[in-house]
Amino acid sequence: MIFSDKRWKKPDRGQGSEQGLYPVLHVADSLREYQKELVSKEVESLWELGLIGSSFMGVMRKADHFHDQLSDFEQSFSEINSVAGQFGQVRGEISNAVLEAQGKVEELKETSVQVEKSYGDMEKTFAQLQTAVEGIQRCMKKIISIADQTNILALNASIEAARAGQFGRGFAVVATNVKELADEIKGLAEEVDTGIHEVERGTGELNNSISASQQALNRNINTVNNTYESFNKITETAENTVSVQAEISGVIDNTHRDLQVIGQFFDEIKQQYQDVVSHIERANNLGTTKSAMFEDMDNMISQIAPILDEIES
Amino acid sequence: MRQFFGMSQSGNLAEAVEGLDNPQFIMLMSNNAQFETHVKALERYYPGVPSIGCIGMSYDIRVVEEGVGVVAFYDGVSAAANVLEQVSAMPVKYIKRLEEDVQAINGTGADTVCIDFCSGNDACVLTTINTVLKHRGISLAGGTGDAGKVAVNGRIYEDAVAYAIVRNLNGRVKTYKENIYRKYGNYRFIASDTDKENYVIGTLNGKSAKQVYKSILHVTDEQILTQTFQNPFGKINGDDTCIISIKEVQGDALACFRQVNDSDVLILLELADYEAVVQRTINNICRDFPSRSAVFTVNCLFRYKLFCERGYMDTYLQEMSELGSHAGFVGYGEHYNNRFVNQSMTCVVFE
Repeated sequence: MIFSDKRWKKPDRGQGSEQGLYPVLHVADSLREYQKELVSKEVESLWELGLIGSSFMGVMRKADHFHDQLSDFEQSFSEINSVAGQFGQVRGEISNAVLEAQGKVEELKETSVQVEKSYGDMEKTFAQLQTAVEGIQRCMKKIISIADQTNILALNASIEAARAGQFGRGFAVVATNVKELADEIKGLAEEVDTGIHEVERGTGELNNSISASQQALNRNINTVNNTYESFNKITETAENTVSVQAEISGVIDNTHRDLQVIGQFFDEIKQQYQDVVSHIERANNLGTTKSAMFEDMDNMISQIAPILDEIES
Repeated sequence: MRQFFGMSQSGNLAEAVEGLDNPQFIMLMSNNAQFETHVKALERYYPGVPSIGCIGMSYDIRVVEEGVGVVAFYDGVSAAANVLEQVSAMPVKYIKRLEEDVQAINGTGADTVCIDFCSGNDACVLTTINTVLKHRGISLAGGTGDAGKVAVNGRIYEDAVAYAIVRNLNGRVKTYKENIYRKYGNYRFIASDTDKENYVIGTLNGKSAKQVYKSILHVTDEQILTQTFQNPFGKINGDDTCIISIKEVQGDALACFRQVNDSDVLILLELADYEAVVQRTINNICRDFPSRSAVFTVNCLFRYKLFCERGYMDTYLQEMSELGSHAGFVGYGEHYNNRFVNQSMTCVVFE
């Protein structure tokens, strides 16, 4: 046996103890009963205190969790702000693209104007060409007329040659040859005239095409001018995102400040929670010292009965 | 003051006290077979010198397991030794003796200590003694001896506590308690359904104490008694923790080596780095007492077994001897002021 047991004898409470020490014994017994009740209540108190401590630790954990979520929320807002900041970059890129496009449009416009000018030059050239063709036509008519007159002259010469008889026979051959030449010249002139008519018709068609192209080019220039305006509007719209971004940033900054206030509030609450926890721990510690005192009380009260027993016996 | 330690592994008291002259207080640690002989012989050798004795092992830099060991104070102490009897029922009956001895020594908490050897009912004994000592702030260090016997001034008593009020005439005195265990997990139990007379814990937080211990530490019924070396209970008392060892399994309950009461708050402990803990204690003592006359310790039998198993006992005694004159005995329970603890070391240091 390492430690001897402590065993109390139950006091013998016989009859006729009114004049003895029985009342003192009774007081001691009552004290022990009260002490037992006190211990029982203390067990309940400690148990409740333990439950309060556990529940409060749960509250602390929830508060920590909420605080973490608040931090995440704050982080999300910072990220939104950062994303909104990218608006500026996008706006810059749009402006650059628009400027570049406007440059191209301007180039296109200048090219169109040059083409239009070329069309104008072509129109003048065609007019000169038409005048030249008409001059040729007139010459051709004149050549045909000369050929006809030559033909008549050749015919008259043939007639005169026939009248001259033998003497006019050589002359008749010359007149026939002249007639044949005149007919040939007339045929050639008519062919040229036909060709010139073809040229005239082609030139007219080409002139019509140039006019149509010129009209289309004019329309294109108008479109290019309108496009240029559209690009200006795009740039203006892109510029508007700056104010939108500023508004978003403003809202986010306000929210960030509000969240910080909430965070500070939770930090303060947490400090108060920790105070409560330390008070609970302190109460728990005090409870444990009480249990040692209960043991001391019991150790002392328990000795009364055997002492009284011994005195009485 | 100065401290003497003499020993005889063969149980020869004359050999143990060789060189001891004019002691002012003597402590005898003997074996069961020779206890009575040794008590009487010691009284013959040093008649009238206050002495207390018990059955148990003693040590300085070596352990005397079966022989005899003598610790004595001399050169600057005043001491009074006496006994409280009938400790299992009413030690308070003899409280006047203690009051008179304390009055006679007339010390204060700063220079006086009470050293006790008890035969049982330790918690009640310590509560009773403390009702006197607390008025002067006098500390107590002591322990439980074997076989239910103690000796005082040459006489053997059963069911008693032998005590000595020792005053250091040349300096301070202070007691220490060393705990080589630390909190295990985050468990906190409120004991109930206790049988405090039989040191039984019925339930912890409303559940079977045995099942609670087994389920947390994953041990069988049979392993519980060895597991207590590694994981004893700790009873919380404010900022202090008192170790409670498990003695046996009783149905769904656990019987311990110390009283457990309803509403006691218990925790589970685990073995810490005991070498570091010992070094910390030594450092604390050195800090508190740059100059030391004597260190008297009471080491629990559990600690002795544990240190021996781990081959640390000799090193431990060597380290403690570096404090100066160090001696002590192996107890079956340790006393520290009004607290009865298990698996601990208590000690008193004299400046």
